[in-house]
This record gives sequence, structure tokens and C-alpha cells, in this order.
Amino acid sequence: MPNASYEHKWGMVVDLDKCTGCQGCVIACQAENNIPINTKDYFLQRRAYEWIRIERYWEGEYPNVKARFMPVLCQHCENAPCEPVCPVYATYHNEEGLNVQVYNRCVGTRYCINNCPYQVRMFNYWHPNWPARLENQLNPDVTVRSRGITEKCTFCVQRIRRGELKVESQGGQRLNDDTIAAGNYDPACVQACPTNALMFGDLSEDRQPSPSAIKPYFDDVNAHPGHGEHDRETRGYRLLEEMNTRPSVIYLKKVDPYPLKGGH
Amino acid sequence: MQEGKVLPAAQINRDLLRSILETPQWFWPVVSLLGAIVLAAAITIGIMINTGLGITGLNYKVVWGFFITNFVFWIGISHAGVMLSAILRLAKAEWRRPATRAAEVLTIFSLMTAMIMPIIHTGRPWRILYWAFPYDFARGIWPNIRTPLVWDPSAILTYLTSSTLFVIIALVPDFAVLRDRTTGWPKLVYTLLAMGWEGNPRQWKLQIIAGVLLSALILPVFVSVHSIVSWDFGMAVAIKSWHSTVFAPYFVVGAVHSGVSAVVFAMILLRWAYGWQDYIRHEHIDALGRLLIVVATGWFYFLVMEIIFGIYGLEGDELAVRALQFLPGDYGVAYNVWMIVFVGITYFLPVILWLPKAWRRNLWIMSAACISVNVGMWLERYLLFVPGQANKQFQTFTWNDYLPQWPEALIVGATFAFVSMLMLLFSRVFPLVPLYDIKEGDILRTEIQVGRRTVPATFRED
Amino acid sequence: MASETQAHHGDQSHSEHGHFGPEMWVIPEASVLVAEVNEKQRMTPGIWRVIFIAGGVLTVLGIVGFVLKALSDGFSDHQAWGFYIAAFAFVFTLTASAPLAACAFRFTKSHWRRPLSRIAEIFSLVSLVNILLFIPALIVLPDIGVMHESGEQLVRRSIWFQELTNPSGWLMAGMIGLSLCSVAILWVAAMPDMAQSRHHVSGFRATLYGKLAGCWYGTKRQWQVQKGGLAILGALYFMMVVFVQFLIVSDFAMAMIPGWKDSILPPFYTVISFQGGLATILLVAYVMRRWGGYRELIGQAPFWAASKVLLGLTLLHTYHLFAFFITYWYGRLEVEQAILNYLMFDSYLGIFWAQLFFTFFIPFPILVSNHARREGWGAPLAAVFIIIGLMLWHIRIFAAAFAAAPAVEGGLYYLPSDAFSFPALLLPPPEATFPGIADIFMILGGVGIVMLVFRIGMMMLPPLSLWEMKEGSMYQRVDTLIRGRYLVLGKPE
Repeated sequence: MPNASYEHKWGMVVDLDKCTGCQGCVIACQAENNIPINTKDYFLQRRAYEWIRIERYWEGEYPNVKARFMPVLCQHCENAPCEPVCPVYATYHNEEGLNVQVYNRCVGTRYCINNCPYQVRMFNYWHPNWPARLENQLNPDVTVRSRGITEKCTFCVQRIRRGELKVESQGGQRLNDDTIAAGNYDPACVQACPTNALMFGDLSEDRQPSPSAIKPYFDDVNAHPGHGEHDRETRGYRLLEEMNTRPSVIYLKKVDPYPLKGGH
Repeated sequence: MQEGKVLPAAQINRDLLRSILETPQWFWPVVSLLGAIVLAAAITIGIMINTGLGITGLNYKVVWGFFITNFVFWIGISHAGVMLSAILRLAKAEWRRPATRAAEVLTIFSLMTAMIMPIIHTGRPWRILYWAFPYDFARGIWPNIRTPLVWDPSAILTYLTSSTLFVIIALVPDFAVLRDRTTGWPKLVYTLLAMGWEGNPRQWKLQIIAGVLLSALILPVFVSVHSIVSWDFGMAVAIKSWHSTVFAPYFVVGAVHSGVSAVVFAMILLRWAYGWQDYIRHEHIDALGRLLIVVATGWFYFLVMEIIFGIYGLEGDELAVRALQFLPGDYGVAYNVWMIVFVGITYFLPVILWLPKAWRRNLWIMSAACISVNVGMWLERYLLFVPGQANKQFQTFTWNDYLPQWPEALIVGATFAFVSMLMLLFSRVFPLVPLYDIKEGDILRTEIQVGRRTVPATFRED
Repeated sequence: MASETQAHHGDQSHSEHGHFGPEMWVIPEASVLVAEVNEKQRMTPGIWRVIFIAGGVLTVLGIVGFVLKALSDGFSDHQAWGFYIAAFAFVFTLTASAPLAACAFRFTKSHWRRPLSRIAEIFSLVSLVNILLFIPALIVLPDIGVMHESGEQLVRRSIWFQELTNPSGWLMAGMIGLSLCSVAILWVAAMPDMAQSRHHVSGFRATLYGKLAGCWYGTKRQWQVQKGGLAILGALYFMMVVFVQFLIVSDFAMAMIPGWKDSILPPFYTVISFQGGLATILLVAYVMRRWGGYRELIGQAPFWAASKVLLGLTLLHTYHLFAFFITYWYGRLEVEQAILNYLMFDSYLGIFWAQLFFTFFIPFPILVSNHARREGWGAPLAAVFIIIGLMLWHIRIFAAAFAAAPAVEGGLYYLPSDAFSFPALLLPPPEATFPGIADIFMILGGVGIVMLVFRIGMMMLPPLSLWEMKEGSMYQRVDTLIRGRYLVLGKPE
């Protein structure tokens, strides 16, 4: 077990201004978390899934058009709608602010999928298969999920645990932005993002001496909840704020120096 | 004038027990056919459990499809039993008598069928007890009572238990009749089931008190079952069109609508199959038809409320779902056409067919109307559940539609065969029209002379 | 087979009609009925004078309250008029569905309804008052669309959607149509009685009855038309009343709280209205029976039977309330939490619990008790609590809704382009408003005017439905079955 004396509350910031839609995070996640390969069949069945997906929207009308990208992953809501509806406690909130999924408990009622406003919970319709030559690349730290269960982004809890073990339990130091980055303890998508659009950190209140770099965004958004959106000093906002889910992921608005002419 | 004649008790016994004491020629072929369909579905379920839900049409966006629709449909059918037995018994409606048993038995069988649906729909059905059984099973975790999915089994199992008790209590006097008319091992079984019934006043008193008490106690269960089923959807905040406060009464009334229609159709079938013209008479069908007009109109009102207040908020995410439901779509499936069909065959067509008295007394027209209601109510659930999931929330990137596959269609179709088969098998061993209830009605039946007119009348028991 | 239980009943409760229980009530002989009712109508026991005077005084108070309010606040600010709307809606709720009770139980051919029918139908006269009361309500109702200073068209959320015209005309048309329909029911239902009574009465009644029922001779054809007409009018009235209730509760309650989107509210309001209507009828019937001299004519059976219906409606009320609550509470959506806090758990907490006690926790045990229901006092006692509870309900819903949001500047009107957002208005919820002296006067006036109009109606028309009671006495007979004597009831097709 990690050292219980250190409190954590993990969070992420997604800077849409930096996101180029390169799908690097998607691939990193796929590799890190043993996600089955999305074959053509899976796509045609509309069952291809990613724990983090890049949503692509078009702004404007052709030819005057811009592509917009938005990475969406599990928001690890503090007030998660998926949690109370699970009959077997397969999903619950842990003390580190993570919305965790216990694969062994899941019976696959899929209510959590329906009650997730972000559509980040995924159901395993088939038993996962890899080509024989890829079987050795599976991450030993991550369960290979069987069919019939729901799964979703974990904030790469295996890396966090490794960090807690290495740095906190063995090293006696508290994890911070620097030690997380140095040891590659941040989620695979964050590590892989070439533009640093994704930032990961610890938001817990009693963090000393150096607070995480992403903390100010959360402080700002929390200080102006809901309707105070226009008073915020940063570009931060949460997805579907009116759902009152209080996600642990904050998005930073895109800065658009050249807005579309005639667009809305 | 009184419709139908008062028959001697011996003839009532003979007529109503004919289905048990003799086997009609068509019986085994029909049961075998139904059994074959059920077997095919059972094999499909086996394949599905073995290879996974991948063989269905469900996808990453629409995760509740045909099975859940069918689950709600059968739960709905199960509401006929209490509606006809308990409510009409408390309201002292005389015309309920021939319909009660069939309705109650249909309740039990449709509940059992309904319960299969969510079980096979889960990803890992073999672990279902962790969900449905209120015990911690050495895992140290009890089921999560906050979820409607745990309210569900509690309500449904309570309903199943109380309905079964209700049927058994009403069956005891009839078991005794059967005990006295059979030989061999059937007699032994009926003797056990009759529990020493000899029809003395004390036994009758207890039987009546038990019946009335259960009628009153079962009513809250009746309302709660479909309310809770509706809250499976109503509690899901993420799906805007489901999160509607009217769902509970809307579902309950809809359930009664489809359930009573199903009972009417079942009664017409039984009348035809077993020649029970003297017992299931036109007046009964007529009265049920009038009841159905009221229920259907109540249901339609709730439907309109649901739709109006769905649009009322003018919230984009909900409007997207409503657009999918009501406007010609970009997708292959045009939900708006189905929507028109559904409202037409669930409300307008049957109510028009029920309005003229002559049509209510025409069994062909009544059958058509009742089938139409049930097809419509099935569609209703589908059109309520699927578009909500397909166009969930603002992230249009994830919007997706659903196309059911053959295993789902086969299993859904087989549930109808399953319930029919169970009803037929039941009618072979237990009387589907309550003997004592009919006799009681005949005893209480009398006439009153008003001037030159003779008016049917009844003795009031209390 | 039922003989044992029956004999038991018969021994146990000696009602005024011999050895039958209250549920086995026998309607008095038809031949004396008309004369007796006309005789009783002429008598004025003290209770009627008290009701007349009290009703009159309260009505005057109500008018005073209205004038005070109009002078102090004017009609431009809808927020000041919450209690007036509550008073109006209270009167409307209780009286509009009352005539329906007569139609509904006539439709189900309930024997026990017969003495209650006319009481229910006389409430149709109150609907004429409802039209008057509705006019100020329409005046204070904020417009659907207004022009903002910036030149932007602001529209508030309502069931009229983007329709910018003021819905007053439609609302008024609904109200008048409803009123006409209910008065028509009263007229058609009372016609045989008036025709028969005009030979027994003198003075203005004779003239009135002659005018209103001069064409009635009681031919077979006339009876057929009358009964068919009542059935059709009843069905029409049922649909109209549900529709007008939908309009009123959505326009005057739901649309007044920004973000309140609640599809169960109209059915909920309808259930409440049925509950209140039946409670009012039972209360009036009890007063007539206990103090008004109609003891033998009304009997205990209506209370015994109607109290079961009232119990059902009370349970339905609570069920609808719970369905609303659980859906809002479970989701934890911000706007829904705010509305729950406003209407139930914060601003109107006290009134909510008081209302719940009055509409459920107190009447439920009374209505469940067989003893209380059989003796005839259970249902009226529960009715008193229910009526008080419904008064509180109207304050909690209508007065609260009107006080919730100002009309301009971020209140009821939001920008159509901004339809996704929801107003910040209810965070934190506004304080509960308390009635001023004028508000209290107006609420009392609402109660008073119902009393007054009902008393006048009772003086004008035969207060019991004579033809239905005579019909009832013809369709009943006491007969022997096996060893016991039972009531036989005829049910014509």
C-alpha cells in the first residue's frame, strides 16, 4: 500500500489551445492500458473504443472551415453520476479523488455508461484479442479485461501507484510535479502529448511546499462556479458544468486569434 | 335484461374443468411449436452467454436495446393482474369475475419472463446474484441500495411473491374441486394443494379475508413496481429525455393499458380454444373495453405531458433527442415514422375501435385493437429508450444509432411464445377461469323489476 | 358464504336504517322524497345563517384585501401578487373538479354517489366567480416576450414556447369554456328536479324553476337525451378541466420559476384538484347531514364509500409528490437542487412539512381506520385537514413561484441564444415570502366566496339530486339470500 500519510487528489488540465488533434494520447493510452486493437470490424460495429478520444468538430461551412479538437477522457467527477447507479459498487470514488472501476465486481448492467454524460465508459462486447506477436507487449501492470464488463480511464492508476511506492514509501518524499515528471508517473497520455496540452497534478489542499502547476486553474474555477464563468481569470471551464458533476478535469478555452469570418 | 344464463354448478365444473380433464387435439402440437421457438431462443441465449453480447446490435453508445425494451414491456403486461383482480375486487365490479385468474396468471408468467431479460442483458450473467441478491456473499460488499437497479429486483420479487400468493389463495377452492374429480397421482397433488379445503364457513371467511387483504396490500406494490422500473430511466440524469418527473405515473398507466389489453386478447383466445362462451361473455369484453378507453386516454395525457415538457425547457441536448424522435432523420432509421405509427396504433386506432358498443362486442375487432395496443406499447418503450441514448448530451461526436440483430429479435419474439406456452400448460393443470368466483357471481346475481323493465342486479356482500 | 361476516356487520353497527351496516344504506321511499327535500330546503337551521354571514364577511374582507393590494402595489409587479394567485388557484382547484365527482361516479354507476351528486354540481356556480377572479390573475401574469432596452427580444420559458402573443385570451377562453360546461352540467342534471319541484315551491324559486325547466315533462325521449347529454358533457368537462388545470399550473407556477421543468406537475395538480374537490364535497355533505337537517337523506354510505376514494387520492397525491422529489433529488443537477431547496428544503421548508402533515400524515391514518370511515366522521375530518393542507400547497407552489423571480434583468426572461444556460437566480434560493395583511384578507376572501356562492346555490336549486335518489330507491330492494337479508342493487346497462 502507498504511504497513507500523504493525501492526494489527482486532477488534469486539458489546454485546448495546445491540442493539435494528433491522437498521440490515444495511442499511448492504448498501449499503456492494454486496450484491444480497434479493428475495422469493431469500427463497423460501432464498438471501437478508446479511454481517451479526440473529438473532432468542424466550425463554419466549407470552404471557410476550421477543425476543433477536444480530448475527452474520464472526468473523475467528484459528484459522479455513474457511481450511485452501480448495483455492485464496481465503480466508486477513492480517497485520492479517482473514480475507480473494479473489474472483478462488474456484472455489466451498463447503467453507468448510460448515466455518464461524457460517454467515456466503454463496454467490452467481445473478448479482447491481440495478434500473437503483440501479446508480449501487454502491460503487466494493467489487467486485461475480460468481456462483459465496463472499463474506462483510470488516470493510469498503475503509474500513480508506482510513484507512490517509489517516491513516497521508499524515498520518503511527497510526489510533486517535478518528481512525477521525472519518474514518468503521470498518465500515459500526459507523457505522450507532444504539445503538453495535457497536464497532470495533485490538487490536495495541504500540499507543501510547492503546489501543483495546475492548482490555480482549479482554484479559479471553484471560486467562480457555474454562472461565475464570465468572472474567471483563467480560461478554465469544466465540461457540462450544469450537470453538477464537479469533474477533476478542467479544460482551457481555445484562444482564437483569427476567428472565422461570418462564423458564429 | 340479464346477459348469459345462470348455469347449474355441475355444468360449470364440467365446462371449466374440461381443459384439465380432457386434452384437446390441438394442444400438444401447439405447445410443441411454442416449445421449439423457446428452445431456439434458449440456444441463442446460450451462444450469447458463451461468446458475449457482441452478437447483439448494441454498441458503445446505445447499451440498452431490445432486451430492456422487452423487460419493461413484460413488466407492463404484468400489471394487468392486479388491476383486474385487486382494484376491481375492491371496487366490487361484477364483470371482473371470469378475467381475474387469467390476469393473475399472466402477471406471474410475464414477471418471470421479464426477469430473464435484464439477466441475459448483463455482460456477466453468471454473477447476477451479486446484484440481485441482498446478501454480501463473503465479498464484504452488499448490493448498492442507492441504485434503481437494486430497487428493481426488490420490487419485482415482492410483486411476484404477492401475486403468487394471491393466485394460490384464489385457487384453493378450485383445487378442492379438482381433488374430488381426479384419480391417481394427480389426485395426490391436488389433495396436497387443496390443503384440506372442505368449503366450511370458517375456511371461506379466511379465504375471503386473505383475498381482500392481499388485494389492498398488493396495490402499493403494483404501483411501486412500474414506478421503480421507470426510475431505472428517470434517475439517469445524463440522458435528458429519460430524466422526466412524470415517468412513474406515465409508466404505470401505460402498463395497465397494455396489460389489460393483453388480458382481453388472452380471454378471447381462451374462449375460442376451450369453448367458454357461457363464461367469458360479450358483456365482460365490453366492460373491459370501456375500462380501456379510460385507461388509454389517461395514458395519452401522460404521453403528451412527457413530450410537451421535454420540449418546454428548450435545452439543446434535449431538443436533439426530440428532434431524433420527431423530425425526419439523417440516419437510416426514421424514428418519426415509427413515432406516428406508435401513437396511432396505441391510442387513436384502438380507442376508435372501442367506442361503438357493437365493435366492443365484436371479438375480431377487440382482438385487433388489443394486439395493436400491445405492438404500440412495445414500440413506445423502444422509442423512449433508444433515441435518448443515441443522441445523448452535447458531444455530437459520439452520437450513434442502434440496429438490433437477429439474436435479439429471436429472443424477444420467443418471450411471447414462452408466455403463451406457460399459459397453455397452466390451463392444462389449473382452471384458468375461477370456478368458485363464477358460481359466487351466479348466486349473487338477481334482477330488479322497475316498472315494466327488468334490470340486472346483484346482492351486495358488504 | 358471506353470511357470517354480514351478520357480524349487521349486529355491530346500528345505523339509522335498521340492522344494516352503513355500506348497506337504503335510500328513503321515493314517494316522499321530493316533498321532504323541498321542505328541508325551506328550513334554515342556524348553520346556514352562520355560513352565509361568515361567507359574506370573508368575501368583503377579500375585496378589501384586493383593493388594498391594488392600491399599494399596482398591477405591474407580478411578484407582489403571489398570494392572490394562490388564493385564486386554491378556489379553482377545489371547485373546478367538484362537478367532475358527480359525472365520474355517475359513469361508474356507484349507488352511493346519489346524495352527493347535486352538492358536487352546485360548485359549478363557483366557476362563474372563478372567471372574475381570473381577470386580475391574467393582468399580473408577465408577458411571454418583452423588448429589452438593447433592442433584443426577450422571451421567457413557457408552454407557449416562442409564441410572443400574450396567452391571456387563450387562458380566458379556456376558463369561460370550462365554466359554461360546468353550468351546463348543473342545468341538465337539475332540470328534472326543478321541473318536479316547481309545484312544491313558491316565490322566486317557482319562477326560476319554471324558466329553467319549463320544457321538461319527463318523457322517455327527454330522459334519454338528458342522460346521454350528461355523459357527453361529463366527458367533455373532464378533458377541459384537465386541460385548463394544465394551463394554469404551467403558466402560473412552473413558468414563474426559471429552470423549473417538471412534467409531473400538471398531473400532480390534477390529482390534488380531485383530492381537494372530493374533500370539499364530503365536508359540505357532512355539514348538511350533521347540522343542516339532511340526516336521513344523505346517510352514511356516501362517506363510507367516498372515503375509500379519498384515501386513494391521498395516496396518489403523495405518490406524485414522491415521484417529483426522487427524480429531482437523485440527479443532483444544480438547477433541480435549487428548485428542491426553494420549494421544499430551504425557503419553504416549514410550509412543506406542514402541508405534508395536513395532506398525508394526518388524513392517512384517519382514512385507513375502518371505524372512522364507517361512522361517517372520518372522511369529513380528513377532508378538513386535506383542505388546510391544500391551502398550504397552493401557497408553497403558486405564491412561491410568483415570488421567485423578478420579471426583468436576468429573471424570467433569458436570451433565446442563451437557452443552454440556466439562471443564477435561485442560487441561493430566495427567502420565503410572508403574507401581508392584504394577502391574508385575499386568501380568506377566497374561502368566503366559495361558502357564499355555495349557500346561494343551495337556496336556489334542490340541494339533493332528487331524480338520482329516486332512481336509486327504485334500483334497490332488500331480499333474502340463503339465510341472510341483503341489499340488492340494480345496475342498468
